[in-house]
Amino acid sequence: MQRRHFLKGCASLGAGAVIVNSPLKVFASTETARTPQVLNYKALFNDALSQSPELIGFTNVDDDFAPEVLSIEGKIPLDIQGTFYRNGPGKLERGEHRYQHLFEGDGMLQSFTIAQGKIVHKGKFINTPKFQKEQKNKKFLYSGPETVIPDALSVTNADVINTANTNVIAVGDDLWALWEAGSATKVDAKSLEYKEQVILGEHDKYKKTLQGLPFSAHPKVEANGDIWNFGLNSSGHVVLYHLAPNGRAKNVALVNAKYRGGMLHDFLMTEKHLLIILPSLSTKRSFANNRQGGFSRISFDKEQAQRVLVIDKASLTLKKEYELEAGFAFHYGNAWEETDGTIRFDASLYPNADSLHNLSNMMKGEINHSVPNAKAAFYTLSPNGKSSQMILDTNSEFPEVCDHRVGLKNEYLYHLSSKQNSFWSNTVCGFNVNSGKLDSYEFGEEFLVEEHITVCPKQKEGTGYLIGSALHVPSKRTCLNIFNVENISDGPIARAWLSHHLPLGFHGTFKAA
Amino acid sequence: MKKLTRILMVIVALTSTFTQASEVSFEINGIKSDAGKILIQLFQGKDNYESGNAESALIVKAKTGSVTVNFNELDEGEYIIRFFHDENSNGKLETNLFGAPVEGYGFSNNAKPDFGPVNYSAAKFVVQSRDDKVTNSASVIY
Ligand SMILES: [Fe+2]
Repeated sequence: MQRRHFLKGCASLGAGAVIVNSPLKVFASTETARTPQVLNYKALFNDALSQSPELIGFTNVDDDFAPEVLSIEGKIPLDIQGTFYRNGPGKLERGEHRYQHLFEGDGMLQSFTIAQGKIVHKGKFINTPKFQKEQKNKKFLYSGPETVIPDALSVTNADVINTANTNVIAVGDDLWALWEAGSATKVDAKSLEYKEQVILGEHDKYKKTLQGLPFSAHPKVEANGDIWNFGLNSSGHVVLYHLAPNGRAKNVALVNAKYRGGMLHDFLMTEKHLLIILPSLSTKRSFANNRQGGFSRISFDKEQAQRVLVIDKASLTLKKEYELEAGFAFHYGNAWEETDGTIRFDASLYPNADSLHNLSNMMKGEINHSVPNAKAAFYTLSPNGKSSQMILDTNSEFPEVCDHRVGLKNEYLYHLSSKQNSFWSNTVCGFNVNSGKLDSYEFGEEFLVEEHITVCPKQKEGTGYLIGSALHVPSKRTCLNIFNVENISDGPIARAWLSHHLPLGFHGTFKAA
Repeated sequence: MKKLTRILMVIVALTSTFTQASEVSFEINGIKSDAGKILIQLFQGKDNYESGNAESALIVKAKTGSVTVNFNELDEGEYIIRFFHDENSNGKLETNLFGAPVEGYGFSNNAKPDFGPVNYSAAKFVVQSRDDKVTNSASVIY
């Protein structure tokens, strides 16, 4: 009898089964082999850098940054004690090879520890299995989602090339560095040393059934500390996670979203529901376009409505589906539900997916100011199944609300912006969604401003701070900025300078001491 | 039931001795522990592989390092071997919710999945004649 089981069990290794259903295929077409790109991205980028100094944020980082006590302007508020962590791609080149999409670089953590009015910065590459091997061999050993490396080793599952490069959150005493197509990566919060790729649910009833599943980079943390997240599989299924504050798996379920957009970055949560918002992306034409890269094969389809899947949090099952006008967003700010069941949420909405492809063009030094910026967009989903949208004429990216308002009605939405269409933000904004009042501070054209997150010691909306980094292009230095949210337009109340610049990154978190 | 009969016939064939016979000697390397068993399947031709119709199947005890198994009395033709390390001895290859293996596995020619499943052509080998001796090997992909 055992043999019969054996044959059945082994079927998962069949021609059509192994890996076909893995998250990795989100990144790749398997029908034909991908061929190396003939353009020399490294040479093109370096040529462009001499003409366009603002590309400095996309230069390669050679080594970790040793601890440095920063020089401080202004006064650090005494109620900010803890560490601000940021994550982003730092290793973009090895030897003659430069990655062809910014999303491919190996994750590097920056930590800014704030104590007794002083700030100490350090930066460390996350020593993932991929990074360890490539560092030892002093070359890229694996192809990335987009870039084909000649004679690369096989990528047998997504975690082999998990760069952990997109976000970082605190879970228990550890940090989880997050990617989008594979496992969370556990890192020591003090030393920033790599610990392991997290096998969710391993110590719960799930055993190894969640190993290697995609765990996206934008988990939502509820006021009680519970963590909610999703992951997109190439089959069009979405896995949904409900975790305890310590990372243990409470409930995990699959929903067949039938989504073939090739990427899904963020989601939202209300008190009772998760909102899986599926942008108007398609991978259908990738073969016709001869675009085989994990990102370049994605195209915007203006005929394809955005879809919102409303998932019941208690059961992790699909309750309702809405359609929205075509659009694309990397990021959403917040969602909440009114007593009659009306759901409201906001997005940093792009009219197409050019911004995604622009992050590839920038890797070869192209700066295109005609790529449209995202606008602040506000949506209403009515109980009768209708939806409506209102798009403001304000550029908006990296939207944020106070931690304790996630999933609840928020009065303030904080985001980055830029007056002109620009390739990176230069303004920090606080938007009062009730009054429509916009409080903003423009750093000026010489700054490339990164995500600013909220730190709210009083847990009272409208109080607290925004904290984030900005790269000053002429002096080639990065600074950390702290704003009082009650007066953003006054400029930062404290600014701390590094002696050098940091690579432009994505997302971060504040962990109170 | 037909399948089971076929396997039983193969087992009978394997236990018989022949002085002159084709033989495929297959070495599995990189086994990480003694836990459980290694389950190995041999397929003749692409159609049989794709339909999961094994020519022969073997189960051996897992051993840290490597094990070698033999398939005898094979007709000439194309073959492919796949195997997995059944660490918990339940006869099944454990997979995650999306169907990707979470126990060690591998293919003849040491063929590996790469951004997608293993190609039949990358893993196939040929038994030239009824008295051909073939050696092949692969390491376990964990
Ligand atoms: Fe993001």
